[in-house]
Formats: sequence, structure tokens, C-alpha cells
Amino acid sequence: MQKKVPQFRVSTCLGLIVGILFFSIPVSAADKPDFSGSWTTYRGSGGAGAFAAPAGEIKLTAEAMKARQDFISVTEGTNHGAGNSCVGYGMPASVLGSGGYPMELIQRPEQLFSIYEAHNEIRRIYIGDEAEDPSTFFPERNGYSKAHWEGDRLIVETSRLKNQVDSRYPHSNQATIREEYYFDTPLEDGTRVLAAELTMIDPLWLEEPFVTTKRWQELSDYHVMTYECSEPLWLDEMEMLYKEAGLEMVQE
Amino acid sequence: MKSFFKYSVTLVSTLLFSASLYAHHSAAQFDFRNTVLVEGKVMEARFANPHMRLVLEVTDDARGTRDIEFEGHSRNNMRRQGLMPDMFTEGDTVTIRIAPMRNGNDGGYVTALRTPDGDEIGRVTGAD
Repeated sequence: MQKKVPQFRVSTCLGLIVGILFFSIPVSAADKPDFSGSWTTYRGSGGAGAFAAPAGEIKLTAEAMKARQDFISVTEGTNHGAGNSCVGYGMPASVLGSGGYPMELIQRPEQLFSIYEAHNEIRRIYIGDEAEDPSTFFPERNGYSKAHWEGDRLIVETSRLKNQVDSRYPHSNQATIREEYYFDTPLEDGTRVLAAELTMIDPLWLEEPFVTTKRWQELSDYHVMTYECSEPLWLDEMEMLYKEAGLEMVQE
Repeated sequence: MKSFFKYSVTLVSTLLFSASLYAHHSAAQFDFRNTVLVEGKVMEARFANPHMRLVLEVTDDARGTRDIEFEGHSRNNMRRQGLMPDMFTEGDTVTIRIAPMRNGNDGGYVTALRTPDGDEIGRVTGAD
């Protein structure tokens, strides 16, 4: 004889489980700082000021110096450069400078999006279990970033970088970068200040770890703009095609 | 060894003190310390990234009338300077302040637009 399971008990248990799962996720996410917002390089209460790169000396190995000097020798004094070809800065220059342009952060419990205005450069930082095995992804200028929380600090670890000589911070494809994000002391008027302590290690191109701290202050009334860069090249190409065909180009 | 030391000093100096490395390209060709005013008719104004392009028809005693191409900030940074495309309508005569070419050639980097009442919009101090 089959024993009858009381329906109210099954539904009650299911309800409890669903309830616990549903409420536990937002509660744990809500416990963490939300870095979402538009940010500009820290200038303090004085407002506008000259852009300055974060402090910190990068000590290159002889191999790296040679690679860097080769790049300088073919580009110095010319208009050749990654930015002029609409290529983003790549880590760690993207987070440390990005040409002094603003940055937007959008945070979800499982992911942080860093959108640097210059070149629409985007980093996707996967938090906790959302992160996958970096070795299964292609190397990129911004690498693959996974993160976890340590208290109120978001620890981001980036690997899968490429050899990069066209940067203020040259590194090999063996470099790894650790960032530690946290809210620093706000300005007198309450404006939020975000900090990231950064350490780059590179067994091939760095004599010692490169360590620096970058700070931003929030832009409460500012929308980070889009940065269309390659369109002029396409317009020039279109113009040539239309001219050859004897047609009037109306696209602008 | 001596050459290696010289090599290292050069490189470290470049990395530490060359602000232009943050820019899209070298700004060494422009003289931002000795800006000058240029008046001309707008032939083309392309607000684009990574840099704006402005072509003015300029006339002076030394070189006569010719089209001169100027470079400027990205359109995003031009907007932040308060400089918008409708201020450079084709056919209009405008006066701009530029960082001239160090080699004396035509051209330069746009740092501001001078309005008819003498005010200047924009205060660019270096290439982006």
C-alpha cells in the first residue's frame, strides 16, 4: 500500500526552499558595496585639475626594454599609435589612465562591467562562481578577469594578457594583474571616492612587481559618452566608392 | 655596459616623464607654449574620434591663400571643452587658437575658438 504524502507539507517545504534561495541571493549581494556609477580621475575637492598618471615605477627587464625601445624607435615623432588606429589601451593602462577619459561601472551580483569612455573599451569582470577557467579564453589586451569579495573589497585577478609594447606599462603574455577595489574616504561634500590598488607581476618583463593605486571621484551628473572611432575610415571608404560611381553620397 | 646604462636611463625617462604616451600619438610636433590665432573660412570640420579634423582656407602675406588642415581633440573631449560642430559651419569665417607646428609648417592643434566679442571657448593645453 502506497503511503500518501500530505500535499501541504511538500508545498510548504518547497516554498521554504524557494524562499530561502530567493532571499539569500539579494541579501548577500546587498551586503556588498555597489561601485556602479560614472567616475573620473581623482582631483579632490578643488574640482578640475591636470590629469596625472598614478605613481609607481615600472622596472623592465632587458628583454622588455629591447621590445619597448624597438616600438618607440618606429613610432616616436609620428602619428602612429594604437589610439590613432582606434585600438583600446589594454590592461593595466585602461584602468590606470585610459587617456584621462571617464569610466562607467555597472555592477551586478555576478559581474562588474568597466566601460572606459575612450575607445568604448569594455572589461567584463566575473565575480565568484560566474568566472570560468581563463585558459579556455583567447588572450586579449584586457585579458580575462575573475573576482571575489574579501569583506568590502572586490579582488580582481586578470590573466590571459598579450605581449604589449604599445603601452605606458609594457608587459609580456605571462603577466598577471591583481586589483583591489574599495571605497576610500569621500570628499568633504560627500562625493564618493573609489580606489583600486593594483599589482602587476610579470616573470619575463618586470624586474619586480609594479604596484600603484588609482583613485576616482564620482561624477554624479555625468553620462559617459559613446566613442565611435572607426566610422571616419568607413566614411572615407564610402566616399571613394560613391565618387568612383559618380553618385552623390548622402550618408554623414 | 655604458651604452646599456644610457639606454636604460633613456627608457625610464621616457616612461616616467613622457605624458604624451597617454595621448593617442606624439604631441611633440605641436608647440603648446606659444599658441597663435588663425583666421580662415571653414572648408571642412569633421568632429570625430580619435581626433577632429578642421580645414580652413587661410590667406596671409607670406604664403598667400591655401587650405590648411588642423587637428584637435577627440569629439568627446571637444564637447567637454564646449566646442560643438555648429560652431564650425562650412563657409563661415572663424578665428581659432592653435598650437602651431614646431617645424614652421602649416597646421597645428586647435586649442580654442575665439568668438566675435573676443572670448575664447576651450582651453586645451595638450594633445589627447
